[in-house]
Amino acid sequence: MKPAPFDYLAPSSIAEACQLLSEAGGGATILAGGQTLMPLLALRMSQPFILIDITRIAALKGVTRNAGITRIGPILRQNEAIADPTLAQAQPLIVTATRHVGHHQTRNRGTIGGSIALGEPAAELPATSVALGASLELTSTRGTRRIAAEEFYFGPYATALEPDELLTGIHVPEWQSGTVWMFREISQRPGDFGLVGLTGALTVKDGRIERAGIAWFGMGPTPIKARQVEAALLGQSINTLDPRALAELAIADTAPFDDHHASAEYRRTVGKRVFASALSETLNLRAAA
Amino acid sequence: MSATETPAAPGVYIGQRVPRKEDARLLTGKGVYVDDVSVAGMLHVAFHRSPIARGNIKSIDLSVAKQLPGVHAVLIAADLARYKVDMLSFFLAAPVVPVPVLAIDCVRYVGDPIAIIIAEDRYIAEDAAGLITVVYDEEDPVVTMDEAKTGALVHPQTDSNIAAATGTEDPDEELEALLNNAPHLETVEFKHQRIAQSPMETRGVVSAPQGAEELTIYLSCQGPQLNARWFAQAFGMPQTSIRVISKDVGGSFGLKGQPWREEVATVLASMLLKRPLKWIEDRLENLTSACQAREQEIKLRAAFDKEGNLIASHAEYSINNGAYPQGADSNIAVMMFIWGAHKLPKFDFYSRGWFTNTVGLSAYRGPWAIESLTREVLLDRAARKLGIDAVELRKRTLLRREDQPCTTNMGLELEDISPAECLDVLLTKVDVTAFRIEQAEARKQGRYLGLGIATYIEPTAGSTGIAVLISESAHIRIEPTGKISAVVSTHSQGHGTQTTMAQVVAETLGVKFDDVSIHEDDSSRGGYGSGAYGSRQAVAGGGACIGAAKLLVDKIKKAAAHLLNTTPENISMREGIITVSGDKPQSVTLRDLADIAYGEPERLPEGMEAGLEVQFRYRPPPITMTSAAHACIVEVDADTGFVKIKRWVSSEDCGVMINPSVVEGQIAGGLAQGIGSVLMEQVSFDARGNPTAVTYKDYMLPTIFDVPTFEYNHDASMPSKADGGFRGVGEGGCIVGPPTLVNAIADALAPFGEIKLEFPMTPTRLLAHIEGRPEIAEHAKPVVAPVPEPTVATTPTVAPVQNVFSPSAPQEQIAAPAAVQIDGNWKFVLSTPLGPQAFTGRMSTDGNNLTGVFIMNMDEAHFTGTFKGNHLVWDLKVTKPMKITLKYEAHIDGDKLLGKCKMGIFGTAKLVGERIP
Repeated sequence: MKPAPFDYLAPSSIAEACQLLSEAGGGATILAGGQTLMPLLALRMSQPFILIDITRIAALKGVTRNAGITRIGPILRQNEAIADPTLAQAQPLIVTATRHVGHHQTRNRGTIGGSIALGEPAAELPATSVALGASLELTSTRGTRRIAAEEFYFGPYATALEPDELLTGIHVPEWQSGTVWMFREISQRPGDFGLVGLTGALTVKDGRIERAGIAWFGMGPTPIKARQVEAALLGQSINTLDPRALAELAIADTAPFDDHHASAEYRRTVGKRVFASALSETLNLRAAA
Repeated sequence: MSATETPAAPGVYIGQRVPRKEDARLLTGKGVYVDDVSVAGMLHVAFHRSPIARGNIKSIDLSVAKQLPGVHAVLIAADLARYKVDMLSFFLAAPVVPVPVLAIDCVRYVGDPIAIIIAEDRYIAEDAAGLITVVYDEEDPVVTMDEAKTGALVHPQTDSNIAAATGTEDPDEELEALLNNAPHLETVEFKHQRIAQSPMETRGVVSAPQGAEELTIYLSCQGPQLNARWFAQAFGMPQTSIRVISKDVGGSFGLKGQPWREEVATVLASMLLKRPLKWIEDRLENLTSACQAREQEIKLRAAFDKEGNLIASHAEYSINNGAYPQGADSNIAVMMFIWGAHKLPKFDFYSRGWFTNTVGLSAYRGPWAIESLTREVLLDRAARKLGIDAVELRKRTLLRREDQPCTTNMGLELEDISPAECLDVLLTKVDVTAFRIEQAEARKQGRYLGLGIATYIEPTAGSTGIAVLISESAHIRIEPTGKISAVVSTHSQGHGTQTTMAQVVAETLGVKFDDVSIHEDDSSRGGYGSGAYGSRQAVAGGGACIGAAKLLVDKIKKAAAHLLNTTPENISMREGIITVSGDKPQSVTLRDLADIAYGEPERLPEGMEAGLEVQFRYRPPPITMTSAAHACIVEVDADTGFVKIKRWVSSEDCGVMINPSVVEGQIAGGLAQGIGSVLMEQVSFDARGNPTAVTYKDYMLPTIFDVPTFEYNHDASMPSKADGGFRGVGEGGCIVGPPTLVNAIADALAPFGEIKLEFPMTPTRLLAHIEGRPEIAEHAKPVVAPVPEPTVATTPTVAPVQNVFSPSAPQEQIAAPAAVQIDGNWKFVLSTPLGPQAFTGRMSTDGNNLTGVFIMNMDEAHFTGTFKGNHLVWDLKVTKPMKITLKYEAHIDGDKLLGKCKMGIFGTAKLVGERIP
């Protein structure tokens, strides 16, 4: 561990943190769990002038439910999220997705908000917040604004977060009873980022799909909302659904690329299979043919 | 196993699963690695490295870096020039091209160290490294071996990019006819990806000058003795003035066999500054600037008759040596062992190592392992085409114990290899017939199971031909306390030699294992030995411990017999209790005897020296062979291309085992690395020579989830000819693992045709094969980093690349050229597979006859030959390392001589001579 020099600040309130961010004029980086940032600092790939450690801000902790919304404090550690009874009840998909983030040891430090704010396109939690229709609460000295997770991500590690803004809350709408969850991740080793990942929720009422939220990770420069297949699923009877027939549509919004770990063609091909089998199993359908 | 031989029965300690002495220390974080060493006054080192793969240095600006508070010095090559350093290979041979400690005038790979920064702490040193400005004339790099064959010279002073070569380019017409006219010719051709050794502990050094003439060097290495010798020879200092200490080392796998540029720069800077310095390589440096291995390409052809018997074979092989290899290499061992265990009438080969603008080549566990991968894949493919079962084909072609002793067509003398016998045992553990039924059923359900089998032989504890690897030493003392200290020239980077050598000493002496401590961490404590290299420690170190312990037993018995009024034959010792047998039994402890030996030596037999201490140097047999057969069963998911290893069974002949748990740990570790190299590991570069897998996110190592629980069978084991009967097992898993797994994957996917041999076999590649489409990622154009500005052609004009020993064109001498002066003194350099050999000689002429002598290492070799004009021909018979006639041919041009030497099976070497007074 031998980062370039930086100033370390540990504010105790959101207001203080925002003030520091504002004064830093873009030269500060937020330190939460540090599971991405610390290796980057050690390699000197990241060289901020100021590190603002937000883990002492009590207002950024905790999980609360109010009026059909679950609010997750961004510095909730990933292993705390996995063990959280409120999340287990209200947002089981977040819990499932978090189990796939890194390793047990990194989840002891890593935070939910850190993963969401970083914007790694192959990460589990950004796509899951997109699928569930979450909105992100961003605070600065200029005030607080809310932005849909779907509109938050621009490209790899590029987000709508302004340099003076802090992620202060993750607001996840609660899906009504009758919702089934799907989560699939194909990664070369457990704990790796996904080569192909699918996360989503379907609300089934009277045998028909009433609401659908599906997103991909590892399938493009950002988390990708599968809008076309969501639209196609609405109103469909689960008894007449043909998951395989929908698979092509499921990847229609994706834009995967060739990289060190897999080819775009691989991601598309496997993505279709992942979608079909996830949908079949989730809706407990018999696979077509 | 033959009826007359039986495996050795386990002893009190030898053969027992004794818990490792090291584990309590290592597993509780109390190990002492280089980074745990702190010396008073110590400063810290960082390097400024080249960001480009090839270019000339126009200017270096150190001024800003030097002014940073906390910086003590910033040094470049010119600052270290006051020290003459001859960088050496592991074999202590001079490199083919000079290796600068820091870059001089030009850079030759991304990561090439240019400046060394010394500061109060590593943070400041890194800050200063970032403040250095170097201006380059960037040139197009030579990154791949294909580029090396046709591209610019990596080292302008050479006449080609061939770093080393063995064998001959000229086709053997008789062999070609055999290959081309055979009933079946099988060809396997592929590229093996580059691998990073990836020790858990990176390289590191603390160098502490002790006054002007002595150095203490704490080093992460494979053996303090060899490394002390390396520094002494490279620096031209007496070895006794250099002390290398290496307590605990977290893996090496060939990377740390010798110091290299960064360690040497740190030591020189410490001498210059007269301050202790520490350099600990970080992971980014380790994955980009530490030497690497395995980037190779091979084409193997083998001809079979209709029954599956081998007729003839030819191999063509290349290996990327990078810019500064730790010993330029064309890897003769690949050719020695590719058919070393098989009945093969005729074989020939051509091997080359290539210079490129990439980080240099060093050893990696089983450096020649590609021979087993290539052969075993070829045998499976031939079996499928010939319609012969793959196991049956191996049985027909493998040598058995009853076929030995015999000598292979590569000159390998075999006495006791047993891959066929290991295969027999393996087949009692793996029911191939039942598997085939299960496989057929699974395929009906769209599940693809595969069985892979491979055999191999592994040369261990080599003790012939390579001066640094001949013998190992053990010093054993019964201390005055009655406890036993042994200083052995072994060294552990995880090998557990502090346990296994203690088992050998305790067994042979007849003392308690807990009373024996092994010391191998300090070059000033014992005698020379190479440490961990070439799977030698059990055999060579174990033999040294046995020899020393036997000498000590002899002394103990004589002394005890004298004191107890009996004869040595009546004395025995067990658990440190010396007992007299017979009708008047009595006993004394070793402690009692030690009291007398050290405190009252006058009570010892007349003429016996005081004390109880001995030393012994053991030279093992020339080569001790280990054999094995492995099988694995995989399932390949045809939807995702993922490989799941379901079962892995090993059956080996590892001789007498000192500690079965340590043996199995060695096999498992090697197999894990083999699995990694087949499925995920890859060092890669873009077209500009920039490394593209620089963290463990992209350089993928197998984890516990990727490595199955292995099943071990030692039933085929027979004692070796070495003292103790041990065989080495250090590298085998890494050699046999890849072909076993590749054959299993190929078998699973056989319904889709023969798999392409592209490594690593990622899910993307396997799925593309299953679906019969091109694998897009690999055909995409590599990302080309923008070049700052078009460079003017600074590359020297290069003649077409020539083979270094292209045969001299036959020249008709029309008239004797005037004034060809042959007579006189010459100095020569012969480029052998072990590195360049320098020697002097004299030649004289009489009529058309030539006589001469070569002088090397106080040894003279006389020869006679003939000459015509300036063309000389002579033969030289040598007996070391084997009986062979060297056929020389040379031309003299003024005071220069250029020629070649045909070295029988070892191919042809280049000879360069220069007249001396």
